[in-house]
This record gives sequence, C-alpha cells and structure tokens, in this order.
Amino acid sequence: MSREDDTAGSGVPPACPIQVSPTPIVRMLGITKRFPGVVALSDVTIEVMPGELHAICGENGAGKSTLMKILSGVHRPDEGELVVREEPRRFEGTRDAERAGIAIIHQELAIVDDLPVSANVFLGREKRTALGLLDERRMREECRRLLGPLDARIDPDCRAGSLRVGDQQLVEIAKALSLDASILVMDEPTSALTESESARLERVIAALRSKGTTILYISHKMDEVFRLADRITVLRDGRTVRTVKREETTPREVTGWMVGREIAAEALSGRSPRERLLEVRNLTVPWPGHARGYRLADVSLELARGEILGVAGLMGAGRTELLETIFGAGGDDWTGEIRLAGRSVRFRHPKEARDAGIAMVTEDRKRLGLLPDLDVAANVSLCELAAARRGGLLSRRAEEALVEGPVRAIGVKTPGLHASITGLSGGNQQKCIIARWLLTSPRVLLLDDPTRGIDVGAKAELYALIDRLCREDEGLGVILTSSELPELLTLSDRIIVLAEGRLAAEFRREEATEERIMQAATGNVP
Amino acid sequence: MHKVLKPSEWALVVAILIAVAITTLVDANHSYLHRPVESLRDIARNASLLGIFALGATVVIISGGIDLSLGSMIALSATVCATTMLALAPQQMTAFKPVGGWVVAAAVAASLAVGFCVGSLHAWLVTTIRLPPFIATLATLVGLRSLARALCEAATSAITPTKSALVNVSDPFFRTIRENVWIPVGVFAVLAAVTWVLLTRTVLGRHIHALGSNEQAARLAGIRTDRVKWFAYCYAAMTAALAGVFYVANESVAAPVNQGRGHELNAIAAAVVGGCSLSGGVGTVPGTILGTVFLRVVIDAVSKIIKTGADVYEGLIVGVVVVLAVALGQLGSRFAGLSRTRRR
Repeated sequence: MSREDDTAGSGVPPACPIQVSPTPIVRMLGITKRFPGVVALSDVTIEVMPGELHAICGENGAGKSTLMKILSGVHRPDEGELVVREEPRRFEGTRDAERAGIAIIHQELAIVDDLPVSANVFLGREKRTALGLLDERRMREECRRLLGPLDARIDPDCRAGSLRVGDQQLVEIAKALSLDASILVMDEPTSALTESESARLERVIAALRSKGTTILYISHKMDEVFRLADRITVLRDGRTVRTVKREETTPREVTGWMVGREIAAEALSGRSPRERLLEVRNLTVPWPGHARGYRLADVSLELARGEILGVAGLMGAGRTELLETIFGAGGDDWTGEIRLAGRSVRFRHPKEARDAGIAMVTEDRKRLGLLPDLDVAANVSLCELAAARRGGLLSRRAEEALVEGPVRAIGVKTPGLHASITGLSGGNQQKCIIARWLLTSPRVLLLDDPTRGIDVGAKAELYALIDRLCREDEGLGVILTSSELPELLTLSDRIIVLAEGRLAAEFRREEATEERIMQAATGNVP
Repeated sequence: MHKVLKPSEWALVVAILIAVAITTLVDANHSYLHRPVESLRDIARNASLLGIFALGATVVIISGGIDLSLGSMIALSATVCATTMLALAPQQMTAFKPVGGWVVAAAVAASLAVGFCVGSLHAWLVTTIRLPPFIATLATLVGLRSLARALCEAATSAITPTKSALVNVSDPFFRTIRENVWIPVGVFAVLAAVTWVLLTRTVLGRHIHALGSNEQAARLAGIRTDRVKWFAYCYAAMTAALAGVFYVANESVAAPVNQGRGHELNAIAAAVVGGCSLSGGVGTVPGTILGTVFLRVVIDAVSKIIKTGADVYEGLIVGVVVVLAVALGQLGSRFAGLSRTRRR
C-alpha cells in the first residue's frame, strides 16, 4: 500500500490513517437525479477508497456519466448526499469540485482547437504577470513540466487542434494535474484511442496511481476494466447493481449484470462467400503537403458476396481513407483500379456510389452521420426519399411505410417514427443509419468503426445484424473497420492490415490473432 | 409537422395581438380604431413586401447559410427593372407615359434574371471558392448597391439628358400594384404556399433541411450539397429581386442609394423571430410569416405611438423586441423540455 503513503507527499492531506482502516475518500449516498421526462439516477450509492482505481460499468444510458457529472459539479443531485474526505459537499459548479481536488476528463474532450496546448491546460486559470498580462512563459514551462511524465512528446506551443485524440487526452490529464486533483474521473477515455495510445494511457494511469491519485474509470471494455480496476461498480437503468472486487468476478459476470441478462455466445462463423463483388487494385491516394506523400499506397483487396472483410490498422493507417475512396467521398486524385461486379468504376460523389449499390456507414456518427434536427423517420428515409413520394410530393404516410419495415427488422428502439433522433441511445442511432443504407438495397456495405461508443448489448445485436445481412440469399459484401480487434476477429472472414497507408498483411479468420494483427499494424511483419 | 402551429408560433400570435392591443390603446390618434382599414392595409402591404424576401432568407438559413445581401439585391433589382424600361422605352419613360406590357414583362424578367445570377454568384463563392457565406454575401451587400448606383447613373446619362441617381416609374402596371394592396398580399401568399410545399413536401426541401442540419452527413448520404446550396442562394436572391419590383411600384421610383437599405437584417430578424436557427436545419414558413407580421406590427406601433422622430427609435425598439422574442422563445422551449444541446 505504498502509494497511499505517497499521498501525504503530493500536497494532498491524507483523509485518515489509511493503512489502519481505510475510509472512503468519496461517498455518494442515495443519489437521485431527474431530468425532464427521465430519472437518470435513482438512489445510487457508491463508495470510493483512496488510491483505488474504481471502474464504473454500465450500458449507455445506465447513468454512469450523470453520476460522474454530479461528482465533478456539472450537475446537482435532486436527492442524496455527496461526502468527500468525510465532509458533506454540495458543488455549485465544476470550480467547487476542482477546489475539492476532483477533476473530470469527459468522453468528449473539452479542448479548444485553436489555442495552443499551454493555453488549454490553463484555460480559465491563466497565469498572469505582475502587470496582469498573460504570463505565457510561465504557463509554457509549467505545461512542459506537467506533460513531462505523461510519456508524450507534446510541444506546449502546438495548436491543440492539430494533436491526435490520444495526445489531446493527455493535455486534459495535464490540465487535471495542474489542478492538483487527487481524484480523477475518466469517462470512457479509450473510446477514441488506438491500441498503442490506450497502452500509453494505461502507463500514465499507473504513474498517477503510484502518486496516490484516486481514479474513477468509466468504461464498458471488459479487458481494460479487468486489467486496471481494483473494484468495479455496475450500474443499470440508473441504479447500482453491485460493487465487487475485481478478483471476485469475471468479465462475463459483469457483462451479465450490465445488460441484465446473459449475452448469447456468438456463433458468427461459417458464412460461405460467393462470387467476387468488389476488387481494388493498386489503389494509391496521394497526400499533398504531407511528409508521407500518400494516404494509401498500392493497396489491393477483393471482396466476395456474403463475405465480411475486416480492415485493421492503427489510427492514421488509412482505414477510413480506403473506404472513402471506394465510396467516392474522398478526393478524386487516386490512381489504381476499383472494379464493382467486374465493371471498372470511379465515383466522384457519394451519390454515384450510392446509385451503383455501395453504402457507407461512416465513423463518428454525430459528425458524419446524424441529422440532429430531423426525426427518426427522416434520418432513415434520407437516401430513398424518391420512394416516399406520392404524386411528386413527399407523403408522411408513404415515408412511414417506407421506413417502418427496416426500423422494425433491425430492432431500433424508438418511442416513435417521428421521435427526435438525438433522444435515442448511440446503438439505436447507429441502427437508424444502417437502416438508412439498407433501404438503398446496396450490394456492398462499408462499415467504418460502426460500434464505437455503443454499449455491449447493442454491439452484440449489431454483430448479429451484420452477420445476418451477409448470410441472406441476396447477401451483401461487407468491409468493416474497427478500432477494436476482438470485434474484427469476431466478425471477419478475412482481415487485411494497413500500416502507414500500405497493405501490411492479410489473414484468414483461422490464422488471425490479436498479436499477429498488432505486429503487422505496427510494422513488425514476422 | 402535423400540427398547424408549434407552441412557440402560437406564442408569436399572442405577441402580435398584444402589440396590436397596445398600439390601439396607447396611440393618441387611435388610428387603429378610427381608420382600421387603412391601418390594416398599411401593415399588410409592408408585411407582404418584407415577407416575400424573408421567405428567401428562411430557405437560405434552414440550409445552414446566410444571405446578408438581400437589401442590396432589392436595390439592384429595382434599378435593373427601371433602367430596362428606360432602355426599351426611353420616350414614354421620360414623358411619364405607359411603356407597354411587353416592356414591363421584360423589365420584371430582367430583374429576376439578375437575382438568379447573383444567387449563382453566391453559390459559386460559397461552394467553389469556399468562402464562408457570411463573407461572400457581405461582399455582395456592399458591391451590389454600388453596382446598382453605377448602373443607374450610366443608364440615365446615356438615355436621358441628365445623369441621375434615381429613375421615376409611372407606368400604370406599377400604379396598379401600389393602389391595390391585394397584389402584394396575394403574391406573398402564393410564394409562402410554394415555399411551404417546397420545404415540407419535396425531396429538395428535405435535402435543404438535411444540409442545414449536418452538411457532412448530408453529403455522405449522397446528397449533392453544392446543388442544394445553389438552389437556396438563388431562391433567396430571386425573392429579393421580386421584392425589388414591388419596391419600385410602391415608391414609383428606383432609387439605388437607399432602396432596401438594411432590409436584409429585417428579413433575417423575421426568420429568426419565427423560429429559424442560424446554425441551420430548423425553421418553418408559418414561423417566418408570423415573424414578419410581428416585426411590421411592432414597427407600426413605434411609428404610431411615437409621433415625432419615430424613425430615430425604430431600430432601437425593433432590436430590443427581436432579442426579447427570441430569448422568450428559447426560454419557452427549455421549459417544455424541447431544447437540446447541439453538439458540433
């Protein structure tokens, strides 16, 4: 328990003689929080021991983020008590929480893109000179000192928006460190990270813990939780299911508590690929003004009907660019050949690809997929509006008839076809977007990281759906990218690995393992 | 969609009635009581004129753009209309005689064609040159008025004995429009109906909403977003061109120096008071109609209640009322639990 001893040295007063009888550093007792129309949390109780890494698991909408926002002063509870270091607290804002040594790193990072890193770290708490002007030099130095131990080479003067997500996250951690936060809340920190960035984050977390920082860690990635956590609290539908020690449970058990049922074992193998559908030969996409010179170089692949081809690769390896080029959504300056059902094609706009029978579900649903101001029906019917017309004009009834089938078949849970799309959970939003594309009766479906930010139960449903789409008589060919290797291994018939824009390896399902894929993706081809 | 008006639009109806009631009571001349028909006619004419290009502004705003140049477009359209007649029928124009139906038709067509060209220019600047719409239309806001003045002076000095900054128009076609309030009201009503059908019942209208709601997503769904923008900017500029013809009729003159000056902001204000979101994707035709009427009723109230120098305070009061209307609207939707944070 040496890390708790260090707490005293890091300027944070120890709450109590820890080694004798540890008292919780944070206690949230009977917390209830209501939002208009929903009870987000109902009588939730959680106790966090000093220095522990306490994982909070639950499906999307279980109330994890709301609970953490209450702890960090973003929201105020309607009922219940918050006790930090034996003192009852009522935070009126994040500043109050920061003063109590609690910092939060939100899932959606609070980075101001156009400001340099140092300005982001000290945003709202800028250091000033005697004259009241900004003391850039001191902030820069302080920033460098904070970033030093974080295993990152980040220039404090660098524009924050130009950093990769993983580095931006470290900037947020530096911000938390600058607050001398002894309690750090991390809300799904690895959801946008590559494997290597996640590994680095785990090293940073270990370093923070060795200094005695208490960490509340929200995640629904079981491997991560079981590697990092001391204890695990599971929430479901705004209630605490239970808190357990890591050693006393299994990932399967925790997943079961999260979804409230056992997830059926996945039997997704045994598809039979049919005739060749799509062929990419020597695809090269230039990248003017970049040191590498190309986004993709000399990439070839084949896809058969009824087959799922997985595309693995680290962030920046060119996964998205590959799909976008096939879909006509990238630039038009590529060389090579793309053949769809034997015919050479070159799409200059997604519309041409759509008309030719290619569909693409984009990564980053919120930014590239959803129309937040339009309702569920309009989001689904978007690509096939012509079929929702009667006498040349859109008909509400025809549109409902058009979208009802796929919405039901895919199992979108929505209060109604005209409900707001932003009110649905991430998984259901994603299903709406898949429904949108299935309406176009595609032959090839491109899925770019389709389960990012989606909870476990919904993920399993999406897997089953993708599998079904390939098995049907009119089976699709699917190209799937994912930032999670287990997902690729579960779904794919074959996996190609991209590294730095080049094809690094290709595996059949039987040959592929996480280790082999990672080796290829990081450039160590065996 | 299936309700006639949204709650915020009903609130606007109430606000209009309150403004009318206040004017009725406070106005020392009691003109709403003594001369109701004339008062109503004034408001109807002014609201129709503003409403015509406020509908255009609505379409652009829903598509996620903005058009700051509508006022200058009005001036240019008015000038093109008058100078076309001057060029085609110089004797009749200078002698204040009727110019003939085909000349009027050619003049109106020329105005609308110029509107189309300006809209296309905006679309080109926004989609090909990739200027932000604010900048592109700010440039034409300044440029078009200057162009209108140059055109007016060039035409008058070439055709008439003296160079002039305005062209008088006294053709009976325009006099009829001026004397018959039903013409602008009718045109506005038809245009509103057309715009409403466009926005709610056509594929293009849905694409306009999609574009304004999330441009990237719309493009990736296979919508030709550049073409949709082209349509939106042309629609806005052409409604302003149409309004320009009505301004010529209303004032019997094309006066590029001041005609339509600042009107672009009234149109945007009408759309925003009516519930349009400047970030795009949100807005309705009934909302814009009510916003227009509300704005005109308030302006009318100011001029009725403050007898002398009403124009001095008009801007101030309209500004305050616009802020209040939009703020109350947002407050209302927040209480109704309808507001949601936009994540971009």
